[in-house]
Amino acid sequence: MNGRLRAVWPPVIIALLFLSAWQLLVVVQDIKPFLLPSPSLILGNFFGDFSLMFNAALYTGTTAILGLMFGTAVGLVIALIAQRFGVVNKLITPLAAGLAAVPIIALTPILNNMFSITSRTPKVIITMIIVFFPIFVNVTRGLIQVQPVQLELMRSMNAQPRTVLRQLRIPNAIPFFFTAMKIAAPLSVIAALVSEYFGGPQQGLGSRIASSAANTAYGRAWAYVVASIITGLIFYLIVLAVERWAAPWTGRARSA
Amino acid sequence: MNVTSPVSTTAVEATGIWKVFNEGQANEVTALQDINLTVESGEFVSLIGPSGCGKSTLLRVIADLTQPTKGSAEVAGMSAAEARKQQRYGMAFQQAALFDWRTVQRNVELPLELQGWSKSNRAARAMELLEMVQLADFASHRPWELSGGMQQRVAIARSLAVDPPLLLMDEPFGALDEMTRERMQNELLRIRQETGKSVIFVTHSIPEAVYLSDRVVVMSPRPGRITDIVSVSLGERDEDTREADAFYASVTAVREALRGRTSGGAARARVGEV
Repeated sequence: MNGRLRAVWPPVIIALLFLSAWQLLVVVQDIKPFLLPSPSLILGNFFGDFSLMFNAALYTGTTAILGLMFGTAVGLVIALIAQRFGVVNKLITPLAAGLAAVPIIALTPILNNMFSITSRTPKVIITMIIVFFPIFVNVTRGLIQVQPVQLELMRSMNAQPRTVLRQLRIPNAIPFFFTAMKIAAPLSVIAALVSEYFGGPQQGLGSRIASSAANTAYGRAWAYVVASIITGLIFYLIVLAVERWAAPWTGRARSA
Repeated sequence: MNVTSPVSTTAVEATGIWKVFNEGQANEVTALQDINLTVESGEFVSLIGPSGCGKSTLLRVIADLTQPTKGSAEVAGMSAAEARKQQRYGMAFQQAALFDWRTVQRNVELPLELQGWSKSNRAARAMELLEMVQLADFASHRPWELSGGMQQRVAIARSLAVDPPLLLMDEPFGALDEMTRERMQNELLRIRQETGKSVIFVTHSIPEAVYLSDRVVVMSPRPGRITDIVSVSLGERDEDTREADAFYASVTAVREALRGRTSGGAARARVGEV
């Protein structure tokens, strides 16, 4: 516990120092809110309109979770197929790399037209595509990069490919999966949020940031940004907690 | 510990084994050239030779992990493939190759699980084996919490799990420090005494080969072949064995055989074709 406290305090102190300096700068220099609102104004808005913040985070968070779930599922399934059939892997991997280079978020207006702009669907699809890539790439690597000696061992024990998959490849890929999830989970929040900038329902964090800024409610716009940061952090921390629980061996020195 | 009585008195019979990599191409390598080797039941045989002499390849052919280009290997009176399917051998490698996601006990249980043993039988057998390698207290530990020597003992326990009549060991102590290594050698001899297994043991170390073996098979590279077989008769091993004259004589005999000298040493016995 002592060690954990020692690890937690330095960033907390730095954050407090940073916020104090920020507050001081805004007050002393009399900086206008449209340039940079003070932390006290932002936090005042945040707690003052907490239920608004919460509902917006809930809406965007739901989009993010749906996209994260579908994107992860598709990523996992295609990774399994790619591992099973080397040819598929050779075909899909460059394709996936190409997909990663597509500015997916820029497709939102198109998807908004393809599906109903008033629905959540286009945003979920965007999030899903963005999540897919890190999951697919990492999990495929985890399934394939097994120690050759462990494969020989499994063969010496007359293990069939399905057993090798279940007992060796999938457990081996779990740390890779969590590495990907730690990238994908906060990314899903960002994707869900940014896709709201292209129109559609107005409940989400992205829409609220845009409309608050347009209405010169800068403190509130920033308060929504704070809510976005917290949402992303919660996603990240959930992944971290699940990893500790489900894969306690992750991050340990691999046995030779 | 019960000794499984093998079907035949021959543990391993390798006949005319050739292994050629990249056959017919410019980078063709003859890893094994006409290998003939018989290992009697209960015998401890080491394969020794410089890198590239094919000793690991030979072990893999016997284990049916790779196919010979020509010739055949029999284990316990059946084809190597059949012996692998019936789990007539256990294998240990230079790397312990333990699974991080399993506890020590569940690593030992792995071969039993693949054989469809019930959970309680698995656990009982694993504990029995962990007691044999003196790691019962570490049953619920994770592999990474163990030292290299302890990990290797877990790997040996795992290779013994299905009680196969034959152990195939590919430099299992190669990554250990000298002290740990000597302890592990004594441990292996004790386990072998208790279980009556036949062992084929690949090593780089001359003293290790001599200390452990009934016979040391000397191999040379390019093409990989058996150049000599040195019989070792040191009787029961103990701490004094390593300093005995007979031990040095055998070490010298193996060393000279590795250099390709034909002059006879004291403990040297040319066996030739077996």
